[in-house]
Amino acid sequence: MDEHEREVESAELSIWFFCGILMLVYGLVLVATGITEVHHPPPNEVLLPWLQTLHPTLWWGVVLTVFGGFYSIRFRPGRA
Amino acid sequence: MQACAALLMTNGQLTKLAPVDILILVLYFALVVFIGFYAKSKANTSEDFFLAGREMTAWIAGLSFVSANLGSLELMGWAGAAYQYGILAAHWYWIGAIPAMLFLGIVMMPFYYISKTHSVPGYLQLRFGEGARAVSAVSFAVMTILMSGVNMYAMALVMKTVLGWNISFSIWVGAATVALYVMLGGLRSAIINEVLQFVLIWAGAAMIPILGLIEAGGWTKLKAQIAVNMGTTDYGHMWSTLGHFKDNPMGVHWTGIVFGLGFVVSFGYWTTDFLVVQRVLSAHNLRAAKMAPVIGAAFKMAVPFIVILPGLLALSVLKNPDGSLMHLVPESVAAFHPGMHSYNQVLPLMLIRYCGPGLLGLGITALVAGFMSGMAGNVSAFSTVWTYDLYGAFINKKADDKHYVLMGRWSTVVGMLVSIGTAYLVMNAASIMDYVQALFSFFIAPLFGTVILGMLWKRASHWGGFLGLLAGTVSSIGMFIWVQTNAGALRYIAMSSDAKPMAENLYRALWSWMICVIVTVVVSLVTKPVPTEQLAGLVYGVTPIPDDGATTIWQKPIFWAIVVIVVFFVLNLIFW
Repeated sequence: MDEHEREVESAELSIWFFCGILMLVYGLVLVATGITEVHHPPPNEVLLPWLQTLHPTLWWGVVLTVFGGFYSIRFRPGRA
Repeated sequence: MQACAALLMTNGQLTKLAPVDILILVLYFALVVFIGFYAKSKANTSEDFFLAGREMTAWIAGLSFVSANLGSLELMGWAGAAYQYGILAAHWYWIGAIPAMLFLGIVMMPFYYISKTHSVPGYLQLRFGEGARAVSAVSFAVMTILMSGVNMYAMALVMKTVLGWNISFSIWVGAATVALYVMLGGLRSAIINEVLQFVLIWAGAAMIPILGLIEAGGWTKLKAQIAVNMGTTDYGHMWSTLGHFKDNPMGVHWTGIVFGLGFVVSFGYWTTDFLVVQRVLSAHNLRAAKMAPVIGAAFKMAVPFIVILPGLLALSVLKNPDGSLMHLVPESVAAFHPGMHSYNQVLPLMLIRYCGPGLLGLGITALVAGFMSGMAGNVSAFSTVWTYDLYGAFINKKADDKHYVLMGRWSTVVGMLVSIGTAYLVMNAASIMDYVQALFSFFIAPLFGTVILGMLWKRASHWGGFLGLLAGTVSSIGMFIWVQTNAGALRYIAMSSDAKPMAENLYRALWSWMICVIVTVVVSLVTKPVPTEQLAGLVYGVTPIPDDGATTIWQKPIFWAIVVIVVFFVLNLIFW
């Protein structure tokens, strides 16, 4: 494989990168939403008060951010 | 209570999206369209367009294989079935999938792969000639296009029920997006989106069982609460209630589950439906092609966590605004009672219960992704079968490769337009939806009979394969019409008048498979056999199976297949 071919191949986007970047963006959106919901719980958490102490949006956002961040970095374009 | 009233909105729709939910949905649409344009640059030859260049790894082919079957119609339907029939619905994910997926990987995949066929009808042509290919290709093409339309209408209906969206808006936006990315990138684009959708479905739906189990107080308390609410413990057992049709909510006997579902329906679907087999054919070598279904089976076993468990949780925790237990009803009843919800709405209802803005958008996006993936899977398989097995086989045999790629792109667009027509047809006659889904099952069971005899029995002749497939399909349709026009026929088809529609489907599949096998065997024995030298690469016993390149036990597909089947048995024993 010559240098040009190697450059083309390493510039390809991995399927896992697509998964990672989408989850990373979603995770960050959920974290931001979760933080605003700490003092202003949404209607479903008003109905189910036990949900308010769990902060599901915030913590699920953290999980997706970590998962998405890992895959985005691990399979980033240009990584050999 | 005001909050609850706001959730179950009085104008018919269940909820509405916040700006953050719309942002999540828009980001998803933007990414799938980008993937379509990105994959276009890699879809230049027919091998690229229809089989993703045969360069997918085992993990990607495996996830795509299981994801192609994980459409939202499937998710919502089986969550509703779990509410209706209890944990028995998990049979469709375990015995109704796992053994067949492993059989495909370990036994059948080498024949599909080394024959270098582009499709299942293509394999039938190599093994049984043009007649069997024509029957299989025509029925498959018609069914995939109809199923794509059903998916489209189902998505529009869910968006209308849950969010109040206009049906035509949902149909056209969904169809245009799918047509764009499949037309541009072919199977590669569909596979990337299917893997993405698989991750998205877990991200969007996993919170329901997690939060549901927290609310119910764990699995043991959930089972106890369901027993109190339903007045029976039958909803929590998979096998112990299958001794008689009357003993379980599904009205099915263990023979129907083991032979009808576990053998005929499951093997028929997972080993011969080109929609799923096409994903595995995209694998980059034989070992990856054998491993892909094994990986798919491992993930398939976990799906009941996000599909069956929410249905069971709803039996325990889903409440009306006044605090009483909510009772879901059949679709036919809900349609005439505006305040009631159908079984099929159980997943959206649970999503709304636990998910506020952000999480709700993620869940809705997962459902939309599932519907679009269902459409894309059907339309990409249709485009392949149309181009290779109908257009290329009977209309224009000598065109160059570029012409076939162009035909693949155009057939994607035309297929999608026909699907849109089907969606509007279903909208005006909802019963068509049930018939289309029943029709799909007509072809699968006999097709499995033909393919498995073709692969394992070298004496099966061209006429045997063709007439067996035809007889099995015609008898399946005949049995369906018989029960539709004479309810008393149920006791002959399903062997009990206590049987319910689900049981009827299983037994009808079993009989049609047996008819196919018997006709194939009898006709083959009285007709001219195919010369052995023509069967090389197609039939067990006359085909040297090439080494798959595995050097350590960890690389051997058979080792992982054994691991998966052991876990499968343990799960069945736990939930016995």
